[in-house]
Amino acid sequence: MLLKMLKKDFARKKSITIVLFLFIWLSAVLVSAGSNMIVELSNSLTHLFTQSKAPHFVQMHAGDIDQSAIDTWSSTNKLVKEQQTVEMINIDGSNLFLGSKGESEKNSVMDISVVTQNKSFDLLLNLESKVIQVSEGEIAVPIYYKQQNDMKIGDQVKISAPPFEKVFTVVDFVRDVQMNPSIIHSKRFVIHPSDYDFVKQNYGELEYLIEFQLHDFSTLNEFSQAYQASQLPKKGPAIDLTLFKTLNALTDGAVAAVIIFVSILLNIIAILCIRFTLLATIEEDYREIGVLKAIGISSRYIKKIYLTKYVVLAAIAAVAGYVTSLFLNQFFTANILLYIGSAPKGIVDYAISIAAVAVIFFMVIFFCRLVLRRFNKISTVEALRSGSIGDAKMHRFSPSLNKSKLLAVPVFLGIKDVLQRFKMFRLLLVVFLVSSFMIVVPINFLNTIQSPTFTSYMGIGQSDIRIDLRQSDDMIARYANMLEVIQNDEDVTRFSPLVTSQFKLINSEGVEENISVETGDFSIFPLDYVKGNAPTKENEIALSYANSSGLKKDIGDELRFIVDGQEKKMVVSGIYQDVTNGGKTAKALLPFNKDNVLWYVVSLDLKSPQLMQQKMAEYEKAFYPAKVTDLKGYIDQTLGTTIEQIRLITVVATLIAVLVSILITSLFIKMVIAKDNAQIAIMRSIGFGLKEVRVKYVTMSLSVLIIGILLGTVISNTVGPMLVSTLMSSFGASQIEFIVDPVKAYLLSPLILILVVTITTLLSILSIKKSSVASLIAE
Amino acid sequence: MSILLESKELSKTFVVSNSQENHILKSVNLTIEKGEFVSVMGPSGSGKSTLLYNISGMDRMTSGSVVLNGQEISALSEQELADVRLKKMGFIFQHIHLLKNLNIIDNIVLSAYMNNSTSRAQVNERALQLMKRTGIAELANNDITQASGGQLQRVAICRALINKPEIVFGDEPTGALNSKSASEIMDILADINDEGTTILLVTHDVKVAAKSERILFMLDGNIVAEQRLGKYTRGGGDDIKARETKLARWLMEMGF
Repeated sequence: MLLKMLKKDFARKKSITIVLFLFIWLSAVLVSAGSNMIVELSNSLTHLFTQSKAPHFVQMHAGDIDQSAIDTWSSTNKLVKEQQTVEMINIDGSNLFLGSKGESEKNSVMDISVVTQNKSFDLLLNLESKVIQVSEGEIAVPIYYKQQNDMKIGDQVKISAPPFEKVFTVVDFVRDVQMNPSIIHSKRFVIHPSDYDFVKQNYGELEYLIEFQLHDFSTLNEFSQAYQASQLPKKGPAIDLTLFKTLNALTDGAVAAVIIFVSILLNIIAILCIRFTLLATIEEDYREIGVLKAIGISSRYIKKIYLTKYVVLAAIAAVAGYVTSLFLNQFFTANILLYIGSAPKGIVDYAISIAAVAVIFFMVIFFCRLVLRRFNKISTVEALRSGSIGDAKMHRFSPSLNKSKLLAVPVFLGIKDVLQRFKMFRLLLVVFLVSSFMIVVPINFLNTIQSPTFTSYMGIGQSDIRIDLRQSDDMIARYANMLEVIQNDEDVTRFSPLVTSQFKLINSEGVEENISVETGDFSIFPLDYVKGNAPTKENEIALSYANSSGLKKDIGDELRFIVDGQEKKMVVSGIYQDVTNGGKTAKALLPFNKDNVLWYVVSLDLKSPQLMQQKMAEYEKAFYPAKVTDLKGYIDQTLGTTIEQIRLITVVATLIAVLVSILITSLFIKMVIAKDNAQIAIMRSIGFGLKEVRVKYVTMSLSVLIIGILLGTVISNTVGPMLVSTLMSSFGASQIEFIVDPVKAYLLSPLILILVVTITTLLSILSIKKSSVASLIAE
Repeated sequence: MSILLESKELSKTFVVSNSQENHILKSVNLTIEKGEFVSVMGPSGSGKSTLLYNISGMDRMTSGSVVLNGQEISALSEQELADVRLKKMGFIFQHIHLLKNLNIIDNIVLSAYMNNSTSRAQVNERALQLMKRTGIAELANNDITQASGGQLQRVAICRALINKPEIVFGDEPTGALNSKSASEIMDILADINDEGTTILLVTHDVKVAAKSERILFMLDGNIVAEQRLGKYTRGGGDDIKARETKLARWLMEMGF
């Protein structure tokens, strides 16, 4: 009998059943895909780190090294399992030509180097996660370039610094545990040892990675302090395994989090829909329920009849969702598989997605049971007598038509109807609010991250051009020359030289550690501070968000520095956001440490933006090998992959939001029309044309939509930045403020929704043609 | 007197299945003159209400034509028909059919606001006059749930009259009321008719029909006979009992 009733119910409510199915299905697809992404990410990372034998600690160093001193120190340090020094030849972007395009990589912000395959650990892997081996004349290119420059096997890579020139053929792509993500500005190309020697003799400067593997990774802090305290080379930043992991996981982790979030939103909508449908069904079947109760069927059994439908529906949708996600996983994990590689999967890995889908299923059933508690309140006599549930009470707040002087009658009726039946319209309001949120937040975030002012979150002020000069032999002379040229350049309105050098500070445990500090005048290109201000006195220092939380120092706290061999107390003056260099940077007015300069940066503004291209070309030539970039280029290259991912999310979220709006509006309006059949017939009998009735219903959905959009926009601009900041705090930006493009956020996206909802409403009320008093009486 | 409403060969057929058709109206010819008060009587299923809805353009006839004041309405579009209903016709139903989310005065002014031919203030004034006349002025701002059936039917009458229609159609307007209320409603309709508004009613009730001027008898989808009782004037010494007896006798002759 149950099966019969289910079949009948499905035939009677085809469209709502299909819509509910779609929602639960989509929710299951997304939650399964999202959790699979997380599992895949974590497995692949572990696999990559194991296969490549990732180093635990890496000290970068530009300058000479004494390997025997490193060997001696390592052999006496009990924590060290193995040590290896990687020699890299730095290739200037302007000397590197990738593929067939004639342009060099001179505009790239990446630090490019060639290396040979490592011997014992930090192995550079190919796309099959196997150790790369290249023959003479061959080269393996970082995955970043496979994606960015669309490089293919068989393409040519040329290093050309006349008269030196060497051409390689691409045979593989490098999966580099240290330098994979685009957010890391260093990239390693792998060549054959004999080619390496040839390049080394004829070209370039060397840089070293002094790498360690420890017996026990938990001793990393102790080891790091020991290294800092030693006399070993450290002209460059030190990084460790935890940072590699975070940087590798960031982009895809954030995407997975967003997907799961969207899935939960969809599930909430599905649950609200079920509540709405169930209540409407109960209201419709009120008299039948009374009859069933009167003939002695228990409430429990009646509940079972209603619940069974949703158990069956949710179960089929959840299983279908899981199966669909198996096909879609490839798409969602494509980026992970490319950059990090795949790992063998165990039963537990599949179980996690299944468990996530099961949670969606049980949430649906739980809420159904909650709604069905209403059965207990139904009185048999009342149900039989009145045949109405009695809760269709009108809201007291109701404007009078005879007091309204301006509004057209159909518009007035639409607005009044929404106000009076607001409880019923809540579902639609929530859907519109969520849809608007789903569209506006990604749009605003995308606009923010693409905006030149996003540099505020990268720890740099806003300027037209940025010139980066990295460690090299005659860096100081080049820097002095550069400053002189810029100072005398009439096209430059203002400039600010900033030097980043390494200082030692004494941490809370009393141990010395290195910190990169940028020094200079920070008032020329000011930065937005999360808290406090830029340093204005010699004893003040501003910390990046990541450093501030790592060192547990807030504004007004003291830091002990070693400057010129003397201990110097510095007070934290401000905290800013920085997503570059692992997020750990600082700014002070200290005279820079000449022995330990990491890089120089000159930011400058030009008289006119038209001069940009000309000046950039001029400076590139004059200040070779310094990197000259405009800020947009700098952001694009650093955050390009992230921007692409967010753009994809924006498109997908907008599509989902539009689809959800269409489905729910059509479902909802159809139900309202069915409910209002008699009222529509009366209106038509007293002279309302179809046009006026349409205007009334479009007014109803649009007035709810407009409230939804307004609330959605407010929430998008208040809760939205908080959500994004939570997501981005792991990048080093804890307090993101949206830079809103008003045309997109406040004009185009509401317009899309308004258009979609209007068309859907009009299509959903086609049946009003059939409403007439004549047919009402015939019924 | 001139003709206000005329149907020629008006037919309505419902298709039940491929092989079965149900002919509800069979070539009905009917003429209503301006200012007339006509009732249509007949057994259930004879096609009374269908005739009313087809002749008023609320339902689409299968064939034939209907002319209202010289205008052929069977050829009008949905929107034009709505406009005719709004400006030229008034309706009173057995089940009253008011809009439940509007209060009493709003139900009355609604179609006049839609009509938009006079200012809203003037409409409000006219609504108040109509309500005074039908004895429901004090209910103006009440919810429709706060009035009795008889009172609500008066609201429906006010609504039907608000646009000063050329003709008022009534489908069993007293069918759901007790005899006292029914009599009061009929007196109001008779008064309206006295003032010149044409009325066409469908009714089962001899007492109701006895107050009309002419009675048409329908059987099996056609008008088969008519009885003229002459104008009923309330308080004019007209013996309503005599009209009722005369009508009842005629109906018995017709087999009703």
